[in-house]
Amino acid sequence: MLSSRISRRTFAAAATAAALAGLSTTGASAQDVIRVGAPLPLTGPLSPEGVKQQRGYDLWAETANAKGGIKVDGKNYKVEIVYVDYASNTPRAVQAAERLITEDKVNFLFSPFGSGAAKAASSVSEKYGIPTLAATASSVQVYDQGYKYLFGTFTPNDTLTEPLLEIVTAKNKDVKRVAILARNDLFPLAIAQEMDKGAKTRNLEVVTFERYAIGTMDHAAAITQMRAAKPDWVFATGYINDLILIRKQMNDLGLNPPVVTMIAGPAYKEFIEAGGALAENISSAAWWHPAVRYKGQDLFGTTEAFNEAWTKKYGGEADYAEASAAAAGAVLQLAIEKANSIDPKKVRDALAAMDVETFYGKVKFGETGQITSLEPPVFQIQDGKPVVIHPAAIKQGDLKFIGR
Amino acid sequence: MIYLQVLANGLVLGGLYACIAVGFSLVWGVLNVINILHGTFIVLGSYVAYYAYAYAGIHPFASVVIAGALLYVVGHGIQAGVINRVITAPVLITLTLTFGLDLMLNNAMLVAFTADYKKVNLANPLGSIEIGPVFLPGDRVAAMVLALLLTLLLYRLLRDSRIGRAIVAVRMDREAAALMGVDVKRINAVTFGLGALMAGAAGALLSIIYPISPLNSSMFLGKAFVVCVLGGLGSVPGAMVGGLALGIIESFGASWFGPEHAVTLSFGLLLLLLFVRPSGLLGKRGYE
Repeated sequence: MLSSRISRRTFAAAATAAALAGLSTTGASAQDVIRVGAPLPLTGPLSPEGVKQQRGYDLWAETANAKGGIKVDGKNYKVEIVYVDYASNTPRAVQAAERLITEDKVNFLFSPFGSGAAKAASSVSEKYGIPTLAATASSVQVYDQGYKYLFGTFTPNDTLTEPLLEIVTAKNKDVKRVAILARNDLFPLAIAQEMDKGAKTRNLEVVTFERYAIGTMDHAAAITQMRAAKPDWVFATGYINDLILIRKQMNDLGLNPPVVTMIAGPAYKEFIEAGGALAENISSAAWWHPAVRYKGQDLFGTTEAFNEAWTKKYGGEADYAEASAAAAGAVLQLAIEKANSIDPKKVRDALAAMDVETFYGKVKFGETGQITSLEPPVFQIQDGKPVVIHPAAIKQGDLKFIGR
Repeated sequence: MIYLQVLANGLVLGGLYACIAVGFSLVWGVLNVINILHGTFIVLGSYVAYYAYAYAGIHPFASVVIAGALLYVVGHGIQAGVINRVITAPVLITLTLTFGLDLMLNNAMLVAFTADYKKVNLANPLGSIEIGPVFLPGDRVAAMVLALLLTLLLYRLLRDSRIGRAIVAVRMDREAAALMGVDVKRINAVTFGLGALMAGAAGALLSIIYPISPLNSSMFLGKAFVVCVLGGLGSVPGAMVGGLALGIIESFGASWFGPEHAVTLSFGLLLLLLFVRPSGLLGKRGYE
């Protein structure tokens, strides 16, 4: 995107100017900045996701700076985020991470988008010992590499499918046959496999399990197979574009089972707008939802306050990816303040020992660095709005089944 | 019984592929320009239909005319103003030029429309037609019929009109056509304009089927490429046959080997065909 490139250039120029100004005066003011590197897919097929993350980080940095910055050892540090666009190209994300650490000298790093790229870039930050927060990586394969400097704000994939399976099987004993259609891609496939596993342990019959290639323009063949298998529950994974097309073609080809679950598109308002009437009654799960209510010790405070800050800056409501990005910043800030230092090792230890409430939920990282303390909400689109149906504490309604 | 449905899926999909490819084939065949802009033109056509429906309530099928006319002007302008300057250069030069223009236009669209997916949701959806065990999606069938009509129109235009004969003449022999008094530069611009018109019209038709985003342009371009090579370059019936063949192959491939192998299969067959019949299924020189 042209604008992002320009803004990066002007930003770099401004940063250089600031650094020079610092050198010419006391030499200390250049030190009073905490720089966080953020390689993001700001252009290319993943750009909608990249932009979401950027919005989250920006809100955190702006809020932190408006409150005087991050206090360390009696000094106030300003937050500065250095963005690099890796154009949805994972190898370039890894190069960008390396360059941010070695040339831009960032103190900390935010991972690139998604499990695949976050995993690829994690080896770089591990090598240099730079604490890294992954805001949008959920697959356990990202965290089981034995790395010490990587922390993630998404719980493992099965925390999304398990509550769904619980609710559906408890509410409707007639749901027996499950058809799964998965995008052949790290996260969408991993979550489909969790669904497959969870369904089988509950004695549900998985009647079809098909994968489709990235960039598939037509799902008629898969849907025809699924229809022939007469499923009670269709579970489809992919991103917005895929899922809108799948839902539309399901309708066109007369496949309308009582339960339709899609991950991960329905959490975004674009999905509901683009899906129209067909989005109705689709169930889904995500790591966060604006309806959750937590009281945190972070800079945003409560979930309500976060929502308000979000609406003020961007209008509308934040979705889970945006909130997770802002939470990654808030958690990093808490760790820096706790360590009372910007030393990478000390901040890393503070992250590992962290156990706090935030607007995003309780934050405690497990042995591998992946968060273990979140309870991801399950929701369903009812009357054009996502309605939370789990967990019980923040429930707004009950799961509805589509009539045959 | 399921094979009837698979065949129907393939035919409907193939009709859409043909409609995506016909303009691309025309430009490649006549001008020897591989127009990388084609996918972006299609998406632009979809946006015209989307905004016409959202703000003026114009049905996307009616927008075919608006999108086609608008894209014709854009295409004519680009050819006359930019591509004509290097039209006699080797094919790689024009390919690089359209590639560069595509980057600019596509990024401009990302800035103007954002990458968020939009979709035309008709107030009165066309639903499905049920014939025995076979479901036919109404909107796809209607889009396909309209696309076929448009393609037929293009075919008649090339065969029967003065300008059409001039296009075919340029396609067969540029120098000879010029010697016969054909204004080759003008014909180039008209042809490129027609290619863009077909892309815009296809985009308007597809707007009721696919979510719309500038990111989809490469997807359309890729299909157009395969269809053209499969069917044979530069002939309208070739694009039709190539599109239908690809649709049916993908549909059966997906149902036999699973959707993740459909694309592999179609490209495998494409390679095989290039060995056996390098000019494509209906490839021949010139429009008859």
